[in-house]
Amino acid sequence: MSKGLSLLCKKVQAEMLELPNKRIRKHRHTHAHHTMELELSLSPPNQTRHPIKKSRHGDPCRFPLVSWNHDEDDQQPNTFFTGDYQPDLDDDGEGVIGWPPLHSWRKRLMEENQHERVEVFNRGEHHEEGDININVMNRNCNELFVKVKMDGVGIARKIDLNAFHSYQTLTTALIHMFDKYVEIEEDGAAYKLMYQHRDGHWHLGGDLPWEMFIRSVKRIQMVRN
Amino acid sequence: MGFPEEVLEHVFSFITSHTDRNVVSLVCKSWYEIERWCRRRIFVGNCYAVSPAMMIRRFPEVRSVELKGKPHFADFNLVPDGWGGYFYPWICEMARAYPWLEEIKLKRMVVTDDNLELISKSFKNFKVLVLSSCEGFSTHGLAAIAANCRNLRELDLRESEVEDLSGHWLSHFPDSCTSLQSLNMSCLSSEVSFSALQRLIARSPNLKTLRLNRAVPLEKLSTLLRRAPQLVELGTGAYSAEIRPDVYANLTEAFSRCKEVKGLSGFWDVLPSYLPAIYSVCSRLTSLNLSYATIQSPDVTKIITQCPNLQSLSVLDYIEDTGLNALSLSCKDLRELRVFPSDPFVANANVSLTEQGLVAVSEGCSKLQSVLYFCRQMSNSALTTIAKNRPNLTCFRLCILEPRAPDYLTFEPLDVGFGAIVEHCKQLQRLSLSGLLTDRVFEYIGKWAKKLEMLSIAFAGDSDLGLHHVLSGCDSLRKLEIRDCPFGDKALLANVSKLETMRSLWMSSCSVSLGACKRLSQKMPRLNVEVIDEQGDLDSRPDNCHVEKLYIYRTVAGPRFDMPSFIRTMDQNPTYRS
Repeated sequence: MSKGLSLLCKKVQAEMLELPNKRIRKHRHTHAHHTMELELSLSPPNQTRHPIKKSRHGDPCRFPLVSWNHDEDDQQPNTFFTGDYQPDLDDDGEGVIGWPPLHSWRKRLMEENQHERVEVFNRGEHHEEGDININVMNRNCNELFVKVKMDGVGIARKIDLNAFHSYQTLTTALIHMFDKYVEIEEDGAAYKLMYQHRDGHWHLGGDLPWEMFIRSVKRIQMVRN
Repeated sequence: MGFPEEVLEHVFSFITSHTDRNVVSLVCKSWYEIERWCRRRIFVGNCYAVSPAMMIRRFPEVRSVELKGKPHFADFNLVPDGWGGYFYPWICEMARAYPWLEEIKLKRMVVTDDNLELISKSFKNFKVLVLSSCEGFSTHGLAAIAANCRNLRELDLRESEVEDLSGHWLSHFPDSCTSLQSLNMSCLSSEVSFSALQRLIARSPNLKTLRLNRAVPLEKLSTLLRRAPQLVELGTGAYSAEIRPDVYANLTEAFSRCKEVKGLSGFWDVLPSYLPAIYSVCSRLTSLNLSYATIQSPDVTKIITQCPNLQSLSVLDYIEDTGLNALSLSCKDLRELRVFPSDPFVANANVSLTEQGLVAVSEGCSKLQSVLYFCRQMSNSALTTIAKNRPNLTCFRLCILEPRAPDYLTFEPLDVGFGAIVEHCKQLQRLSLSGLLTDRVFEYIGKWAKKLEMLSIAFAGDSDLGLHHVLSGCDSLRKLEIRDCPFGDKALLANVSKLETMRSLWMSSCSVSLGACKRLSQKMPRLNVEVIDEQGDLDSRPDNCHVEKLYIYRTVAGPRFDMPSFIRTMDQNPTYRS
């Protein structure tokens, strides 16, 4: 393995461990760079190397423009990890644009189905099984779903606020929930809960009594300090 | 080779596949000439790969044209508005050159009402219009088609975005129009005149496919069915109504008369009490699309277990593992399964659908070829099991909802699992990856996936080596689409000639530099290297900045000029043009 690339790999790894809010996954396996010999050749690793093939006509256009064994590797900046890479977030703050890969009309249909559920609760009505023209999942009428986004996690989540009775239990649960996806140290002391009120404004969690909070909250964001 | 032209033409008329006809045209000059005069059907996979004039010049006697426009990722809003894919230049030339044109099939193209009107007035024998995921037109354009195409056989608007001004367009079909065989208006929202619809159906004895829109009420479905007992494919409207015994009885009876129905779809707003009305057709069903139906597992299962001849099923994940298990036991002829998520953003899975459901289907359904599966967890062992069970898979699209999710049992990447898929499924033509993946999975793909034609990659890989494995190893690759992967210049520049063997390459939110795009474009005159950057001002950017989005495709038509300001074809050095 070329010295240049091995240095590059180590640098990449070090950066990955330092930047928890770049959606790095915690995984216990040894990173591929250690076990796999990253050989820069035109063939996949662990195979005999082939020389660069010349095209039959000697047409200069057909030469690959870069050969893998180029020594300039270690001089090129590893721009992927310098932080100028930002995922596109969609307008809803749902998460990443175009993910999961579903047609917009399917997403619209899903949102319609969900609105029905939340609306039913908020109106305080309960519908009988088999009622007309209401597309409601009748499993559990007492649901109050709001969207939650955490800094550094790609995909937003929804949770049922009725499952909690205080800001503390809510925050604790959110930290545990997102713990799988992003490195959270000190039990989340670095995060604070922000919420968007029905009136559109964002507030720091805790300013309203709990009961009032769950009736007014539209969405939640766990913001890293 | 001494056969008279007429004999060769007659022989060629039996050769219908596009690839075969292309091969025939390459045998010798005289075959090329004969073939081009008798080619009746054209398929253009990328509308910018060739110009309408070129197509018409070579093939003067065409009856059917099929075009595709925007890149596939446009379906997921990754391609900005105004990108292109306009039908306009094509219809202008074809209206003049192909007076006997009968069929137009478009996918992901921008079509206007004027275009539709031009179609309706230019081709006396026009029969088939399929607009798949198209946009730019309204119901006024549909009215023109309905009114002027005397011999219309097929009008299919599948999944198009139509400006729905009113349902009045349907009433423009003249009373003399009796040729309709297929009508798909499921993507429209406006209510059409029910009596006009009823009369249209009644005077179309050859109507085989009818896909209604959501606005057609369930109470009226039986009236329509009674007038079309010969239907083979039916898409219902909204599938709920007040609970009334007479509505239910009528519906049940109407369905029982439909002895030819093989495919069902629609089922918006399902009221489970009305589902048993379809039971009488279940035993003949080969295709069932319940992917709009928010019905729970027991109701879905009840239907599926009555469909032993089912070949294609689309459902929401409400089916759960139990339903998929039942599917694996009941539907031994299943070829295609698509499972969509009901609520991708809920914290904990709202339904009990895991990788086990897919494993069960892979075990029980020996003919399973095509899979699209959205789920929340996956493991290497499950993927390996699926691969070993089903080496006959041709299409495997897995979407684990959380980007970069590892094997949920071992926390390893899913390289080995997907590696097993490509190793065992030697006929695999289409693959979509998800979950935590390193460069290793691409090593496997490059090594094994020799028949792979289309690959979708998201949030995967570690370095350029990953992309290099794919470009250098996948011999049959035609379409590659990549988003949010750490692939940069090296792999692209090391595989330039590969790009000319493919239809297209899409890369967004990767690490390709503007300078590399320029170099690529200069060296490869038969590629259009298009950079999409909505932040604007590409001219003042340094060469080492990363481009937002990149779309590279081979073309004989040169750079296009219908782009908005934020898309730029990289300049080609004139000295390299032939």
